[in-house]
Amino acid sequence: MSTAGALAIGTVAAPVVTAAAALLAPTTRSADRLNLGGALVTAALALAVAVIAIAAAPGAAAAGGWYVLDPAAGVFLALVAVVGLASAVVSPAHLRHAGRSWFGERRSHVYYYAAFHLFWAALLALPLAGNLALAWLLIEATTAASALLVAFSGKRSALEAGWKYVVLTTLGLAVALLGIVVLFAAAGGSSLSALDWSTLAGGAAALPAQATLFAFVLIVVGLAAKIGWAPVHNWLPDAHSEAPPPVSALLSAALLPTVLLIAWRAKLALEPALGSSAVQDLFCGFGLVSLAVAVPFLWRPLPWKRLLAYSSLEHMGVLALGIGFGTPLAIAGVLVHVAGHGIAKSLGFYTAIPLLRQDPASARRAPRGVARGSRATAGAMTVSLLSLAGLPPSPLFVSELMVLLGGMDAGLLGVSALAAVLLALGFLGLAHALIEGLLGEGRKRGTGPAPRSARALALLASAAAAALLALTVAAYALPGSDLVASLTGGGS
Amino acid sequence: MIAALVGLGFGVMLVRRRSLATLLVSVQALVLGVGALTLAGEGSGLAVAGVILLVRALALPAILAISTRRTREPALVAPPRSALVRLLVATFVGLVAALAVPSLGLADRAAESGALALLCLGIAIVAMRRPAILQVLGIIVAENGVYLLAVSVPGGIPAVVELGVVFDLVLVVTVAAAFSEKIHEALGSGDTDLLRGLRD
Repeated sequence: MSTAGALAIGTVAAPVVTAAAALLAPTTRSADRLNLGGALVTAALALAVAVIAIAAAPGAAAAGGWYVLDPAAGVFLALVAVVGLASAVVSPAHLRHAGRSWFGERRSHVYYYAAFHLFWAALLALPLAGNLALAWLLIEATTAASALLVAFSGKRSALEAGWKYVVLTTLGLAVALLGIVVLFAAAGGSSLSALDWSTLAGGAAALPAQATLFAFVLIVVGLAAKIGWAPVHNWLPDAHSEAPPPVSALLSAALLPTVLLIAWRAKLALEPALGSSAVQDLFCGFGLVSLAVAVPFLWRPLPWKRLLAYSSLEHMGVLALGIGFGTPLAIAGVLVHVAGHGIAKSLGFYTAIPLLRQDPASARRAPRGVARGSRATAGAMTVSLLSLAGLPPSPLFVSELMVLLGGMDAGLLGVSALAAVLLALGFLGLAHALIEGLLGEGRKRGTGPAPRSARALALLASAAAAALLALTVAAYALPGSDLVASLTGGGS
Repeated sequence: MIAALVGLGFGVMLVRRRSLATLLVSVQALVLGVGALTLAGEGSGLAVAGVILLVRALALPAILAISTRRTREPALVAPPRSALVRLLVATFVGLVAALAVPSLGLADRAAESGALALLCLGIAIVAMRRPAILQVLGIIVAENGVYLLAVSVPGGIPAVVELGVVFDLVLVVTVAAAFSEKIHEALGSGDTDLLRGLRD
């Protein structure tokens, strides 16, 4: 077995081992330590694999029995590794004050870490999956562990969110599975390798058009329920707002884009059989509808995590548009957007940890006057929300510009113009929410010093701001790079 | 056989007792499993079809039956729509799914239509039935539709995929059953209509 293959297996095995070890942890403190140690090992392995994958030349992806190491896998694996590590690091701060849970208070840390690391393992395996059926199995596997995490608090609202999440995403995945069966039959497959990305891409031109189109629509529509694209997004705001903040970060910044990668890979593989027009219409349709549904909610005074959830819907819409446009500039924008959204959105959800401790009412109402209570929390909110809104020098400003210009390149001026208007409205909504949140006339806030997690958050916000600025600079080098070439049909 | 499978799906849409609906889904999986066994030939294919039959027809209904026993309702949850309306919706959904989609030429036309009808029927059951256990049964009906197409296409689909799918299904149904019990514990009923607190 190659070094890369061994590292890929280690990347998935490490969190599974950590989950098993966490279940055996005798005390809360030992579970916390196991979580941290396991997360560091997992992230180190995953980042090593990501570097190998990103360094792969376009069209020269390494592949093993089940995995593919191409630049797309590298980018998304790095994203899942970083967000997962950050979520694992901040989890003890959340759990320390989480109180009762689905699993009772005494063993709640243990079950939380077990579910968290199993969820992370499936997420890490997903970008590496070299086969459509395997990818589907991994996506379905994320549901079981993450649903328990969404409902972790055991509150009535959390049960409602978790239930919607399980039912809606499982039904969506059943639709996608039907598409995979149709595609397998259309390809005349006799073994699992018929659904390898490379096999599908190689034989796409010979696939029957009608059955392939039907399969592709079923696959993308089914995956849309898990990606959270409107109009099949109903679980998303509830699950993101009710899950523990570190899990919300993993759901929004890692799960949604990683499932989107599978839809993207299906598009790249099957486009020769379908023609670019049908594929473009489907992705652009989901993109515009998601933006149009999200923007009015960004104008409403929503609780902090719920606001971030609707922002996720908006950003998944931008990614759908970028993939739909498919031009090199739009794809460069998608890469920057995935990374920038991951950093800014994670920071936003981590901000909820001290925010909810200082002002528990902000779980149900929009925060007000945070700047008067904690400068660290206010600073993190500012970095997160201004980045998500796309205020320069946020990398999301650059990425949205790239996607819109890419749309014009693709000859879709009307779609780009409509998206630009919706993004501008979204920007104003988020800016308004930030000003109200920081400076608005608040309710009587919780007293006492800022929690220790707020001070840690200041460090995290500084690191995130630096990473976002670095990403903005890197964005200028992306168009025309080998990385982008490999994602516009040149690779794998 | 396909008519029986769809008929059993209609039954899940109509009956009020969770235990009876679970039995109908178990019979549906049994019919489907026996059909898969006859198509599987010999050797490993037969073994895989046998394992899947046991899981779909026995294990999954057993999980739901245990959950139903643990969550006794003081009275049957009143359906929001009458049986006639549910029957009409199920008929409409089934017919549209079966007739509107053109023949794909991949499997027997009846199997293609039946698979789509069961998938859409499952979605309709989730949308129209309130008890949590009935919604889980809707998911299984939809998955049975996918399995019908999977066993009908020439050569079937790879065993590793079939086993992986059924493993994932067991995981999801187990988690959903656990949710059902927690919901019952929190609300005193498995009526998902009571879960309407999260609105914007």
